[in-house]
Amino acid sequence: MRKLTYIICSLLFIGSQQLTAQTPKGSVLIQNATVLTVSQGTLEDSDVLVEDGIIKKVGKDLSASNNVETIDASGKFLMPGIIDAHSHLALDVVNEATAPITAEVAIADVINPFDVGIYRALAGGTTIAHGLHGSANAIGGQSITMKYRYGTRNPEDIIMKEAPRTIKFALGENPTRVHGRGKNIQPRTRMGVEAVIRNGFNEALQYKKKWKTYNQSKEQKNSKATHPEYNLRLQTLADILDGEIIIHCHSYRADEIYMLINVCRDFGVDKLVFTHVNEGFKVAPELAKYTMGASVFSDWWAYKFEVYYSTAYNAAILTENGVITSINSDSDELIRHLYHEAAKTQRYGGLSDEQALALITINPAKQLGIDEYVGSIEEGKQGDLVIFDHHPLSVYAVPQMTFVDGIKYFDINEDKDDQRLKVSPTEMVEPVYLQVEEESCMHGVELFTEGTTFHHSH
Amino acid sequence: MIKRLTTVLFLVVLICLMDTSTVFGQSDQTGQKRVTGTYAITNATVITQPGKWLSATTIVIKDGLITEIGENAAVPVEAKVIPGDSLFVYAGFIDMGGEAGVQKPEEAQKPENFDPSNPPNDVAGITPERTVLDYWDTANGSITEWRKTGFTIAQLLPKGEMLPGKTALVVYGNAESTNILKAATGLFGQFETARGVYPGTTLGLMAKYRELYKNAELKNQHAQMFANNSNGISRPEKNKSLEAFYPVINKQIPVVFEANEELEIRRVLKLKKELGFDLVLMDMEEGSNLAEELLAANASVVLSLKLPDDKAQKADMEDATEESKTAHKRVVEAYEEALSHAGNFEKAGVKFGFSTNQVKKDDALKNLRLMIANGLTEEGALAALTTNPASILGISKYAGTIEEGKSANLVLATDSLFAEDSKINYVMADGYLYEYDISKTKKTEGNTSDVTGEWNYTSETPGGTSTGEIRFTEKSGNLSGEIDVDDPNGGGTLTRPLENISYDGKTLSFTFSIEVQGQKLTVHTKGKVDGDDFNGSISIRDMGDFSLTAKKAPDFKF
Repeated sequence: MRKLTYIICSLLFIGSQQLTAQTPKGSVLIQNATVLTVSQGTLEDSDVLVEDGIIKKVGKDLSASNNVETIDASGKFLMPGIIDAHSHLALDVVNEATAPITAEVAIADVINPFDVGIYRALAGGTTIAHGLHGSANAIGGQSITMKYRYGTRNPEDIIMKEAPRTIKFALGENPTRVHGRGKNIQPRTRMGVEAVIRNGFNEALQYKKKWKTYNQSKEQKNSKATHPEYNLRLQTLADILDGEIIIHCHSYRADEIYMLINVCRDFGVDKLVFTHVNEGFKVAPELAKYTMGASVFSDWWAYKFEVYYSTAYNAAILTENGVITSINSDSDELIRHLYHEAAKTQRYGGLSDEQALALITINPAKQLGIDEYVGSIEEGKQGDLVIFDHHPLSVYAVPQMTFVDGIKYFDINEDKDDQRLKVSPTEMVEPVYLQVEEESCMHGVELFTEGTTFHHSH
Repeated sequence: MIKRLTTVLFLVVLICLMDTSTVFGQSDQTGQKRVTGTYAITNATVITQPGKWLSATTIVIKDGLITEIGENAAVPVEAKVIPGDSLFVYAGFIDMGGEAGVQKPEEAQKPENFDPSNPPNDVAGITPERTVLDYWDTANGSITEWRKTGFTIAQLLPKGEMLPGKTALVVYGNAESTNILKAATGLFGQFETARGVYPGTTLGLMAKYRELYKNAELKNQHAQMFANNSNGISRPEKNKSLEAFYPVINKQIPVVFEANEELEIRRVLKLKKELGFDLVLMDMEEGSNLAEELLAANASVVLSLKLPDDKAQKADMEDATEESKTAHKRVVEAYEEALSHAGNFEKAGVKFGFSTNQVKKDDALKNLRLMIANGLTEEGALAALTTNPASILGISKYAGTIEEGKSANLVLATDSLFAEDSKINYVMADGYLYEYDISKTKKTEGNTSDVTGEWNYTSETPGGTSTGEIRFTEKSGNLSGEIDVDDPNGGGTLTRPLENISYDGKTLSFTFSIEVQGQKLTVHTKGKVDGDDFNGSISIRDMGDFSLTAKKAPDFKF
């Protein structure tokens, strides 16, 4: 009998080990920091206790049990882990550019946990990023919210399981160039993009109806009903109509932004975030009223025709108009200093510290539907934290330590020269390209460019 | 009485004559036909299965079957005797995934008004209804080559993209025979997509696979409903692609999915977990860290016999910076890790076989020896060549070991198989014997490393100065190489293989051929190697001699 108990105990132990192995969670006590909570003001000389991945207590003179690591952050600044609402980092494939609607494809299938860029992002204080499908299609694939738990080899371990489903839409030049001009199929114009989306939604309605009719008649006695064809693409669109998926839409011009707002209102869809949104300032009230916000660049524009009319005041104007606004990277390089990108809104638009920090923490969390878990330092939220040596909006700020779920994934004092998880057995030196192909929205797409060289394609 | 005797004698003679005349009648002018189907390998060391040895043993083979094994086995009079005194006899190797003799089907024609976002299945590389046997040529030369390496049975993989068709099991026997053991052993899948159409990437491929599978399940249900009671039930529309999934859905055959790298392996495991099919993972080059997951998924594992180049190990790091040396150390570690996957799988208790699909035939045994040097046991290596694939493929009843009643598929080596100098002297496949000349060893004199590497040449001809690159590589003491030459028909450069390479420590000579206006010209090159310089001439028949000098490019260093 004792033997049996022993076996059961060891099995339980193995079981629990495996569970923690999937998404490891840690405990840590950070003391004497200037805590930038984002949602509840700045707390001077305060402590934050994380237990088993969750922020247990925020206050003064906190203590933890002996086995919990204690970090003295005197003179340093503690803020929530930075969240990037628009990234293509750590993905093996970005675009399935072969059809104007590819709602059925899932970025979760192509996560590359070996990408050392994840570690570099952590070194810049970024703990969560939204890995998006690219902008080649009017309706691209389903995106994935990732917690940058660098070190795992299993892609499933860096998926943030609590995050709701999201999907990529794209308006304007990218889908019209790839499909209309590149392949001579719809959409060729902005009108075509609208038509493709409306047609897709209408087909999804018919699809839903077919299955509803089938399921109802199947339940009847001696049913002779046969099933309709299964269509993953239309099923995904139906899920959008049912409010199960948040749309993140690549957009630039005010007219097309307002177009998609109207399309979504017509179909009863209200989970909608616009991304890039260079002309968002022109439709700020509409964005505030009808959407979950706008995720913008701080000061990127003029890299193609539809982004000439832009301003670095965009984020500030949107914020002051009540739009939930975030600043994203769309770049493996910018993702390492999103705190600088946020700081630019103080130069252009004079946002307060709290407003500026919200742009890279709680606001992107809201846009991703994960604000109940992350995005601010509050008791009960997940222990995603960054320690800076200066105020993160200072140009001198350098991240010192980054935690995800209470586990330290970056420490500037323990930063090794080579942080790669996987090394090629034959590449003597990692390939170096003079012209870097960025993991941008149009990554992997053969562009139709009419004889011009195309560099910047977000 | 005498008369009757004469009559009997006459009849006997007549029958004999008739018999001989039939023999003559069937005789084959080429001399290819074997004299007897009976063989005896006498007094050999027989490895009946991994870990089991018999010494001084005789094996009798009759018409494709092993009929007797033993120290005192009687040698039938009609047997061709192979004295095995110095030979080691192994069961013929089983290739879990090969493509010897397999042709790629012609590319599907795109219909008019073609929409790349919604292509027909065959244009998208989705043809699971095909069988590889329809594209297999039993007389293809590469079968001969792989048989020479010891492979006697192979699971053939169809060529194409995402879902090219069904695999099949064949024996590398006589080209006159069909040689088919099983017509459909698995549904082959790959992470390869057709260009420019949906699905175009791994993203689309995963989604398309899920959709095809689900629709096949639904159609299968519909078909069964219709078969059971068709009254009032609509006719199920035929769909050959979806119907090809039925044996997979009904667990009659597995999905054989090629996945080389760890992330690909994880992606296939993810599909298996979602959809529930039986799985054979094909051509794995890594993933021993996934042993637990593979065991839990009950997936069969096939390792590629391909190994990475050893250029990292060979790199000259003497003058490198400390930083480079540290980085280089990691590359060497990764290389060594790649060599140890087979051993690690064995330690983890994963039963695996090997595939030849990705590897050059000359590297197969060499790579096995490397795996053994890096942790795989000899028994484990032999099991992966014989008993493991036999059990994974469900053919242990007639293949995989040397036992009475089993098919006569044997490998006869001059030494213990994995010994460095061991050579394969005979292979018996499907009861047919193939003998190989083991005396032929071609070694180039002189130190081949003087020559190996890249050379930049300049040649003066009446047509002007031409420049280009010559590249030499060395394998087991033999030099091979290629040269870049200006295309005489205009436009760009051509790469031509070097032939008849000879180097004696001083003089280097080789030939290569080019085609000018439909006429093949052979270019003879000869000259002296002095350090990094080559001074020589080229001669073309009826055209004269011209100078050719070359300088060796420095070896790659950090």
